[in-house]
Amino acid sequence: MKIRNTLLCGAAFAWLALPALAADGTVTIVLNEELETLEPCMASQSNIGRVLLQNISETMTELDPSNGELLPRLATSWEETDDSTWRFALREGVTFSDGSSFDAADVKHSVERTLSDQLTCEIGAKYFGGMEITATVVDDLTIDIASDPAQPILPLLMSTLTIVPSETAMEFTRDPVGTGPYVLEEYRVGQDITLTRRDGYWGETPAVEKATYLFRTDDAVRAAMVATGEADIAPLISQTDATNKATDFAYPNSETTYLRIDSSLAPLDDIRVRQALNMAVDREAFLGTLIPEDAKIATHMTVPTTLGADGDLEVPAYDPEGAKALLEEARADGVPVDTEILLIGRLGNFPNVTEVMEALQAMFADAGFNAKLQMVEVAEWIKYYSKPFAAGDTPALVAAMHDNNRGDPVFSMYFKYACDGLQSGMCDAELDAAIAEATGTAGAGRAEAWRTAFARAHALSADVFLFHMVGFSRVSERLDFTPSIATNSELQLAQIGFK
Amino acid sequence: MRLLLADKPASCAAVFLIAMLLCALLGPILLEEVASKQNLRGRNAPPFLFDQSWTMWLGGDQLGRPLLARIIVAAANTIAIATGAVIASMTIGTLLGLAAGWSRGRAGQLIPRIADVIMSFPSLLLAVIVLYMLEPSVGNIILVLAITRIPVYLRTARAEVLEIRERMFVQAATVMGASTRRIVFRHILPVILPTLVTIATLDFAFVMLAESALSFLGIGIQPPEVTWGLMVAQGRPYLVTAWWLSFWPGLAIILTTLSLNLLSNWLRIALDPVQRWRLETGGKKNG
Amino acid sequence: MQRFLARRAVSSGVSLALLVVAVFFLSRLTGDPTDLYLPIDASAEAREAFRQLHGLDRPLILQFLDYVGDLLRLDFGDSIRRARPALEVVIGAFGWTLQLALITMAIVSGAAITLGSLAAFHVGGVFDRIATFFSLIGASAPDFWVAIVAITVFSVGLGWLPTSGTGTLWHWVLPVAVLFIRPFGLILQVVRGSMITALGSAYVKTARAKGVGARAMIFVHALRNAMLPVLTVIGDQAAALLNGAVVVETIFGFPGVGKLMIDSILQRDFPVVLAAIMVTAFAIFLMNILIDLAYAALDPRIRY
Repeated sequence: MKIRNTLLCGAAFAWLALPALAADGTVTIVLNEELETLEPCMASQSNIGRVLLQNISETMTELDPSNGELLPRLATSWEETDDSTWRFALREGVTFSDGSSFDAADVKHSVERTLSDQLTCEIGAKYFGGMEITATVVDDLTIDIASDPAQPILPLLMSTLTIVPSETAMEFTRDPVGTGPYVLEEYRVGQDITLTRRDGYWGETPAVEKATYLFRTDDAVRAAMVATGEADIAPLISQTDATNKATDFAYPNSETTYLRIDSSLAPLDDIRVRQALNMAVDREAFLGTLIPEDAKIATHMTVPTTLGADGDLEVPAYDPEGAKALLEEARADGVPVDTEILLIGRLGNFPNVTEVMEALQAMFADAGFNAKLQMVEVAEWIKYYSKPFAAGDTPALVAAMHDNNRGDPVFSMYFKYACDGLQSGMCDAELDAAIAEATGTAGAGRAEAWRTAFARAHALSADVFLFHMVGFSRVSERLDFTPSIATNSELQLAQIGFK
Repeated sequence: MRLLLADKPASCAAVFLIAMLLCALLGPILLEEVASKQNLRGRNAPPFLFDQSWTMWLGGDQLGRPLLARIIVAAANTIAIATGAVIASMTIGTLLGLAAGWSRGRAGQLIPRIADVIMSFPSLLLAVIVLYMLEPSVGNIILVLAITRIPVYLRTARAEVLEIRERMFVQAATVMGASTRRIVFRHILPVILPTLVTIATLDFAFVMLAESALSFLGIGIQPPEVTWGLMVAQGRPYLVTAWWLSFWPGLAIILTTLSLNLLSNWLRIALDPVQRWRLETGGKKNG
Repeated sequence: MQRFLARRAVSSGVSLALLVVAVFFLSRLTGDPTDLYLPIDASAEAREAFRQLHGLDRPLILQFLDYVGDLLRLDFGDSIRRARPALEVVIGAFGWTLQLALITMAIVSGAAITLGSLAAFHVGGVFDRIATFFSLIGASAPDFWVAIVAITVFSVGLGWLPTSGTGTLWHWVLPVAVLFIRPFGLILQVVRGSMITALGSAYVKTARAKGVGARAMIFVHALRNAMLPVLTVIGDQAAALLNGAVVVETIFGFPGVGKLMIDSILQRDFPVVLAAIMVTAFAIFLMNILIDLAYAALDPRIRY
């Protein structure tokens, strides 16, 4: 034993060097989970996106999340050639990190690979579900992309699709090749990922030469690592740790929390009961306590920077007495308002979720509801959230957090409100028509069409909206970088400067 | 009683445990209301503000509920779960261990393999399976925790029996024609019991903390029910900013474990004729 | 001896097989990975394609036979989440866990046996009380407390040690120290208890009467006899560490098998769950055989 200890101590002294603090030109980024794959067609997962998106793998178009404008990236321009087809002009002189040059065949292969059923790519399933996409090469630098049914927002969809060389095999790759300014240098599973800047990138040369990604699940540890200089950026830290004004930033993270009401079952099928639920929640009391004070009280399924947002919509003011009165009125009409209502929360869904759910349950009880709280793990929660609802004949409210960072409500509204929507607790002919109308509307009228749909959902008191959430990042003072709504899905090294 | 008073730490321990039992019995009846009264705007109130109601003396939790009242109410569930799980696993484990150690036949081979399998079966997977098939309730939590703790008693009992059955007094009893049951329960069990009790007292703490890990998965006690383990776990994000949230329930676990251990040490000495003199002469002299 | 080993190898093999069957079928009771893997709005066709791709649409018994067939060729299947062979994922993580467990248990055993014997030698003495008090507090304190407080003090406050990670030997100090505490408290208590009994028994009194020196008496006679339960508890604690130290792995960013197992169970990544259980079970079975051999070595009267 003693000998062993002595040996250990000796070895410790031999290895005495503490990890060197970051040198100029390099940054260390600490993520909250290890990446499961390095596959470009999975880059819609936030941590994979933070490593790959626009660093290694680029997209045809790029969404500016601050104003919803669509910018050219690998495509320089695009136009609608007929109802269902868009023609993209590609950038000239672009090369992949393996040396091959970028042309229309690469785009065609990337589209087919992402949508292939041999891979089940998340980008394909998340953004291109329920449509047929055909890519036709016109010439080396021109490609036609057709969709069935027609997609007025196809160029926006292309901002999600990562471009890989046409040689990429139909299986998940571990060595992603892309057109971006960085190349994967090393991936030590479980420990770190290193990217280095490459020569021959088509755009401006970014300031960061080398980036190392580390993985730490514990919130407090990530915050501590930036404080001690072991890391430069922690894209996600917890609200309780965000105490240093100089390094900690709050940013809207495009997530919206709400309680989905299953309005097919009594007593929730009565609009007065749904209104009473909305009036029973003291939203102001959460802000600055369990929910960060920078969060916004939600009135829509999508964040305010998304198309069609209506600043005039409001949630009812906190009024437990009013809620009680509405319940009494419903009771007088024979609505079974004393039925036990199941309140389902998902463990780890967002910071403080258990406490928020406990508080909500207490608020509903104060307003005269008979609500029972149940917290479940993610696999079970999905069964409650998606059809067929696991609650069965029990009236239920399911707490969920919805993410739409793509600037258009089409990614939200059908699923959450249409009669056939997978997570929809509502079935209303007028709302269905409004959603279908907006989905097919192109150009200037689209925003107005969505506004109509939002207004209808609001009039129905279709759910209990809670908050447009914020996330917190900690950024070392030596860096010039401000997290934004995009930080939830990507982290462009090219946007990082040194002070 | 005289022997207990002779050992000061053990008497303190006994008093503490009796107080805890009273909390467990009376707490939920008397304080349920106070302990679940939320006050979001007054959350994380610091401890030691003696101008407030006594329930707030240990501070308030993340929903503004009084911590002291919650700890008292939580004692009921906590003690029920910990006692149930420890006693169940100890009883089953010891019986199986006795059989495994005593038998020279198939059972001696087979039973330790059961322990191998349980040890290698991730307790978390067991928890998730139970969660999927049954409701999260106190009984099911005890079931999961008890199963996972069986191997340590089984293996310890078996190891001791393997050695003791070769000792003179056991051989003598066998020769004199004592029945197997009599030998195992009258002669062997008393010898191995002290070690098992030592493990059991520390297992109390382990089970209370393991229960909080289950809560994270949705199988443990779920709010608005409460246990010390759940309180410790829920206070974790606030460790640096509001230490009292997880400190007080954690302290309750530590003190309970400490008391149980002191008491069991005292019991071991008091019941052992060879050692009893230590207490009778004042319990302070070195051995 | 050889007969014992052969018999144990066979019975452990049977246990392992039972374990695989139980885990295979029981884990499928906990749901389908499809909903967890695909985005929540994925179409029914995408779900069906995923199930076909991973063979989840076939009857369970056929899936099982396929799995066993592959297993006989030492193919553990591919991880559903990670698109890598499951065994490769598990072995990578288990290497870290094994090192952590070995280092921790070596230090713990040495420290607990030494200090526990000393405490038993002077029951009720100052040293005994201090050792008992601190070991009990250590054994019942929540491990994340210790971990977070240690990082706050030694890394953020004093800057002596890195917060987390695996780069240098310094990185190992905090994880090992945190893991040390609970087994140390438990083993010290068992050593102390067994030693008190052993020191009180007749043969030690005989040894004392013969005038053997006090230290030799403890370490040769009593300790040898007290070791059986101690060895069992050491084995139990080592097995817990081999199953992965989830809290320590999570907080210190240590890529071990505990967190891998939890993540895989929650995500229903069945190939990884099965591979991880087989690897850790193999290690635990092997350790239990060694412990049984050690019993016989310590006490010649024990025969199997």
